[in-house]
Amino acid sequence: MKIFKQLLIILSINFAGELLSEALSLPLPGSIIGMLILLTFLLLGLVKEEHIAETASFLLDNMPFFFIPAGVSVMVSYQFLEGHLAATISTIVLSTLFVMIITGLITQFLIKKKNDD
Amino acid sequence: MTEALTNTHLFGILLTLGLYFGCIWLRKRHKKNWINPLLISAFAIIIFLTQLNIPYEHYTKGAGFIHAFLGPVTVVLALPLYRQRKLLVQHKYSIIGGIISGVAASFISVIILSRIFHLNDVLERSLIPHSVTTPIGIALSNSLNAVEGITVISIIITGLLGAAIAKILYKILKITHPIAKGLTLGTAAHVLGTTKAIEMGETEGAVSSLAIGVAAITTVISATILQIVGWY
Repeated sequence: MKIFKQLLIILSINFAGELLSEALSLPLPGSIIGMLILLTFLLLGLVKEEHIAETASFLLDNMPFFFIPAGVSVMVSYQFLEGHLAATISTIVLSTLFVMIITGLITQFLIKKKNDD
Repeated sequence: MTEALTNTHLFGILLTLGLYFGCIWLRKRHKKNWINPLLISAFAIIIFLTQLNIPYEHYTKGAGFIHAFLGPVTVVLALPLYRQRKLLVQHKYSIIGGIISGVAASFISVIILSRIFHLNDVLERSLIPHSVTTPIGIALSNSLNAVEGITVISIIITGLLGAAIAKILYKILKITHPIAKGLTLGTAAHVLGTTKAIEMGETEGAVSSLAIGVAAITTVISATILQIVGWY
């Protein structure tokens, strides 16, 4: 029963997010609006951690499982990568390096600066 | 006969579950963290379907049920964000500043590198969410009219790379503060980076899991603004 109740809360919030996204034609995906709704409800105390804890942990701990079908879908979109595979991987690798260098240096700088004040 | 077995709901679910379970078992048994169940399962399924000439539509019949859980998975990402809220309040300027610069670096580098490497428009849009956590990356990929499969693969490559190079990169750049270390891993390399951050220490892990959510929201907002101004 507990899992059903928790699933009902999570799915309803997800649905509310989709509904808001549609009704207000928001450019944000419904699931992300759902996440923001849940965060707001948690902060306001309308939803307590224990209301969703077990189901949320199950979903969070096994996240990669739910991404497998999306990963497999690359087999029907391979034509986009044809001839661009090396360039695509290079873009990902260089961009990741750049993001890490910038984020690391700036955060370190901001923290040090704050400590100096 | 094969058609009767594969063109069913059971087929896609069982194939996905079996491979994922097998990968998890293998990883535990050999204690190898780089074994990525998502990447291995996805490629094994692609090879299986192509080798046995099973249509992709047969697979999605069952796999669609698994795919449908991406919404709820995204929603519950609010929970780790909520749990680390105190940390955010405590170090708001450094955390927000660091994450905004990281997200900006990601957009700028993907856009510039796509020009340098002559990537087509669809590929560029598919790579925009490469540092974001997978469920949000997929949602973003869809709203940018990109290809979700390519987005997923780019997210995994990013995560594996980020986790692998973090230690040596911090040494070279002299990044020593636990918050800077955790924030960088969470912002650049999402959940896979966070696994590495947890190994480094408690603060690193907590900041990293906070950064996943904040960076994802920042990325989605930035992409939305680019859509509104007509860039995408």
